[in-house]
Amino acid sequence: MFNSKITTSTSKKVTSSLAMILLSTMVIAGCANKTPPVTAGTGTSAMTQGDDFSKHLEVHNADLAKRLFISDVKSRKSNDLLEINLTLTSRYEKSQKLQYHFNWFDEAGFVIEAGKTPWVPVELHGKQSTTLRGLAPNTKVSTFSVYVREIPEKAYEY
Amino acid sequence: MNKLALVTTLGLTLVFAAGCANKSVVRYGDATAVETTDINFGSTDLQKVAAQMTDSLFLSPVVGTLTQNTRPVMFVERLKNKTSEHIDTESITDSISTKLLRSGKFRFVDMGRVEAAREQLKFQHDGGMVDPSKATQFGRQIGAQYMLYGNLSSIVKSNQDKTDVYYKFTLRLMDLESGLVEWADETEIRKTKAKESVGW
Repeated sequence: MFNSKITTSTSKKVTSSLAMILLSTMVIAGCANKTPPVTAGTGTSAMTQGDDFSKHLEVHNADLAKRLFISDVKSRKSNDLLEINLTLTSRYEKSQKLQYHFNWFDEAGFVIEAGKTPWVPVELHGKQSTTLRGLAPNTKVSTFSVYVREIPEKAYEY
Repeated sequence: MNKLALVTTLGLTLVFAAGCANKSVVRYGDATAVETTDINFGSTDLQKVAAQMTDSLFLSPVVGTLTQNTRPVMFVERLKNKTSEHIDTESITDSISTKLLRSGKFRFVDMGRVEAAREQLKFQHDGGMVDPSKATQFGRQIGAQYMLYGNLSSIVKSNQDKTDVYYKFTLRLMDLESGLVEWADETEIRKTKAKESVGW
């Protein structure tokens, strides 16, 4: 039992005038405050073994999703704890600074250790693929979700 | 139409004026998000080290055998900070022991609170206020079977453009009876700080 999704923020269509105003606001705000980075990322929803992984992929940030690819989601029990392995591949030529984290759920779908699993930094060089591993914090965990998002270049907002 | 132009001008002026105003804003953030404020040992490093060490401990076959039918009793010795900076190593061991304890696979004795426990027992027995038949008995505590201990060291190198920090965290589990090190692992962190030619 496992799950996964990719989230990316969809760009909204704005009228040209509004865009102009927004742009000017950003330009002006730029000198004092850095613009908040887009931090939405990749995640997953409940999924069972052998299930088609792509069905569970949720994209909240289309730009990021274009540059990433998740495959080979595997799960097993190690010392009674759910262990997850998945491959994160970069489709982008340049390096990407990313962070990922796992959410854990019990059989009833209740979140376990909410907000305690840390975001782990991972740097993917051009076209590189890496294996992300997650281990459930206790034996009650039966499903999971994983999120990937960018690390903001400037540490202003989380 | 004139009114609209006036409002737009006013609005734009306000935006221009506000744009460069230096005001401090307080916000709540995500306590587990990756933090890159500076190159020193930070919350992300602490969380990463604690998570990797507990994961490695849980996945070790030796620990699997140890915890199969029993919950071994452990105690955490203070981590040695061999880095060049001040790091609260107790905070790292706290995170690790809390994760281990919450997994339900281990039990802990807390050496940091021995004196407080002794005082409480002394009060119960000698204070004259506690019913002797209901006082918690001396000499019934369970001794630790395993000891967790480790080192945190760093290598810092820098030139005028770049600073590079490398942390190495080693953790070991010793069987107190036999003195054998049953499990050990190390985790590494590399952080670099470089000047950016273009900043926004």
